[in-house]
Amino acid sequence: MNPDSSPPLTGAAKPGRYLTFKLGPESYGLPVLGVREIIRLCPITPVPHMPPYIKGVINLRGKVIPILDLRAKFQLSTGGYGERACIIVVQVGAPPAAVALMGAIVDAVEEVVHLGEAELEPTPDFGGSPDTGYILGMATVHGGVKTLLDLNKVFLEEGLLTLIPAQTQNSKP
Amino acid sequence: MVSGNVATPEQNSPVLARATELLAQLGEELAFVEPGKDTGLLPINSLVMDFEELPRENAPEVFNAGLATVRAMLDHILDGVGKFSEDSIRLLTRWHESMSSVLAAWERGGQMPPAPPAWNPSAPGVVAVPAPTLPTLNSQLSTSAASGPSTINQQPSTTPSADEPAIQLNLTDDSELLREFHSESLELLQAIEQGVLRLEESPTDAGTINSIFRAFHTFKGSAGLLHLDALRDLAHDLESLLDGARRSELRITSDVINLILAGADTLKQFATEIGLQLGGVNPGEPIVVPTGLLRRRLKAALPGERSTLNPQLPTTPAPPLPRRADGPSSAAPESPLAAALPGGPSTLNPQLSTTSDATGFVKLDTRKLDSLVDLVGELVIAQSMVVQDPDVQRLPSRNLARCLRQLGRITSELQRTAMSLRMVPIGRMFQKMTRLVRDLAAQQQKQVQLVVDGEETELDRNIVEELSDPLVHMIRNAVDHGIERPSERLASGKPASGTVRLSASHQRGGIVIEARDDGKGLDRERILAKARERNLVKPNASLSEAEIFGLIFAPGFSTAEVVTDVSGRGVGMDVVRRNIEKLRGKVEIQSVPGQGTTFTILLPLTLAIIDGMLVGIGDDRYIIPTLSVRESFRPRPGMVTTVHERGEVVSVRGKLTPVLRLGDHLGTPGRAVDPTEGIIVVVESGDAARGLLVDQLLGKQEVVIKNLGETFRRQELLAGAAILGDGRVGLILDVDTLVKCQRTTNGQRVQ
Repeated sequence: MNPDSSPPLTGAAKPGRYLTFKLGPESYGLPVLGVREIIRLCPITPVPHMPPYIKGVINLRGKVIPILDLRAKFQLSTGGYGERACIIVVQVGAPPAAVALMGAIVDAVEEVVHLGEAELEPTPDFGGSPDTGYILGMATVHGGVKTLLDLNKVFLEEGLLTLIPAQTQNSKP
Repeated sequence: MVSGNVATPEQNSPVLARATELLAQLGEELAFVEPGKDTGLLPINSLVMDFEELPRENAPEVFNAGLATVRAMLDHILDGVGKFSEDSIRLLTRWHESMSSVLAAWERGGQMPPAPPAWNPSAPGVVAVPAPTLPTLNSQLSTSAASGPSTINQQPSTTPSADEPAIQLNLTDDSELLREFHSESLELLQAIEQGVLRLEESPTDAGTINSIFRAFHTFKGSAGLLHLDALRDLAHDLESLLDGARRSELRITSDVINLILAGADTLKQFATEIGLQLGGVNPGEPIVVPTGLLRRRLKAALPGERSTLNPQLPTTPAPPLPRRADGPSSAAPESPLAAALPGGPSTLNPQLSTTSDATGFVKLDTRKLDSLVDLVGELVIAQSMVVQDPDVQRLPSRNLARCLRQLGRITSELQRTAMSLRMVPIGRMFQKMTRLVRDLAAQQQKQVQLVVDGEETELDRNIVEELSDPLVHMIRNAVDHGIERPSERLASGKPASGTVRLSASHQRGGIVIEARDDGKGLDRERILAKARERNLVKPNASLSEAEIFGLIFAPGFSTAEVVTDVSGRGVGMDVVRRNIEKLRGKVEIQSVPGQGTTFTILLPLTLAIIDGMLVGIGDDRYIIPTLSVRESFRPRPGMVTTVHERGEVVSVRGKLTPVLRLGDHLGTPGRAVDPTEGIIVVVESGDAARGLLVDQLLGKQEVVIKNLGETFRRQELLAGAAILGDGRVGLILDVDTLVKCQRTTNGQRVQ
């Protein structure tokens, strides 16, 4: 909760701690401040008539929280989850307004990294057509590129997100 | 919240503190034992073992004697049948009371009470008699009980005392009748005991008084038939006492309640003895249970004879009920929460209310209350998850099993108490209606009296708040449109003054609130005409009476213009139904022309928990609120037919109900392709019904309702979610949406 190490949940990427995780081959980061806990994959109760990226709900110690399938949300190929798959539980919404817990299934959690000004880069211009507002920025860690995500935009805004960074990066070289 | 149940002994004895704690636990265990079962036997035994392990060098002698006594009692049970009996439960309960008194005296550090005569280690199984110096217990009756034959094993007394009539069973001729009498009387006595418990809560409840009266009456009749004169006479006196209460000549006080209990206990001793003889124990011996003193006290208590009450007769009779704490000295924590935070004076236990330190009110934030109730709900589920966990079940530890049972009891008791905290009597709202009726009647020059009934009925305070508007509308409707002017009433042979009767009661697993007027009733033809005019029904539709009455709840249907032409505010009754349905309740109307109209509101007891029917579709499970379920059945071939390719209908008793294949609708195809392989659950919302085809019924259970939150705010199919027994989330279906949703065609969802 130290402001120095707590990047804002929304807006441009700020230095601070990020939790990085894998989604398919790509690596992403979420501001640690918004992450409440990481739990093992558990049985998910599907909710009918919801978009496919909403996997359903789980019981988190008596609370019913929705679970997002981030791969589906980003229109990545969906398939089975591996051994290392887990659920990142985040707190969305800005206190003191209504906050809620939500979960996201990711393929693997990597680490918590401290990102300084040097490692941060603004969101590159992907040509302007797709909305990249959900991206806080990019960061280079240990030689790999991480896409830093805007928690509230990813979790609260409805509809699918186009994962331009991955495609662009794959086609760049 | 709990004012220290564990005593802080003045003599600073850790042994005493521990003993008090153990006795409290013992009391909890005792409260849940049942005759004929061994539940709780081992926990009690191990608690007593814990007692025995206390360093007792400095303990009072009477304490050690008490332990020896209870050890003997338990050994007797353990070596014998291995189950509790009515007698052994009573003995243990009395022992517990006596021991409480001993510990209380020890704590005070004053004179120790003498050991009750029953605490003689050489006489196992003898009724534990409290010391006469102890105020909470009735020495007289217990002593007589001790001298009587009502013991587990003790040789029944064979010498009837001079003034106590003995009964002699004719086992050869009457054995069948006696057997019937025995089982019948145990049932009656149980009913009486339950009735008395209710009576303590609401001493004026005519229904309860009547039921106890009838039970004693039946008992008297059966005893008379078998020439069991002593029983018949005692039952007769008790019946007279209740009759006095029934005719409001006698007020039910705690003394009267104690008398009734003492009477029931005495009758039970007879019954138990009869049971023993039927079982071959000392057959043919005369049975003596002293009734003389009790009968004299009963007679003295009868209305009109109060002046003859002999002050020397003991006035605090009867051992208190086994499940009750008997005062501040008791170690049994009888829902301290309830005592500290009563929902209202009527929930106060009369015995507690007489003690100065047990009463008192705490104002508290209702949000805290709600969150407490919520958490307790979770605790109950978490507890059942632990108990049902296969890994836990495989563990062979008896100690674990004991602890889990104890945990289960405490959680369910905690849940009951927590729920009761939020309950408030509906009476205050009824009182508001009195004022409303008077004002309305004066405005319209009508004579109307409001009769209220069941004001003490308790329901969730959240519901009470939401109920105010619908009730006002209903009462207003009854006075405005139901009750006629005095002249009209007299002309149709009714008293000039009309009556609106507002009542509340617990029924059908929920609360039923009824507003009944004796006015002119609903005018079917005019309702129908108005509904056609407003295009609420098709011109040629044939509607049942219930459907016609239901029309007045339709939005935009103003009863004021239609039914009576009295120019009024035209209160929309749709508000009533909408509010009630928001509370997960429903409204029914009955009306007889010329005789009046009755609105019946059915409500769940609480908003936090619903009774749900768990249904399975494919691999998924859903919860349907039981209150909305009319029936469920497995359809026979031919019951489900397809109509004009528009959808399937099921024919139930000549009535066609559209069928919704729930699996297809929810997008999780069910296994039952042929309806006869599945179950049809007929649900209702308003006047509409629909048969939901599911794969199977998985059971009924109470669930704590959880909000689904923002993500699912547009999800109309679901009313919420709940954590099921296995820890997974179950979704609660919104019956309204399901009933009203578009018909599916060929299994395809219509958006």
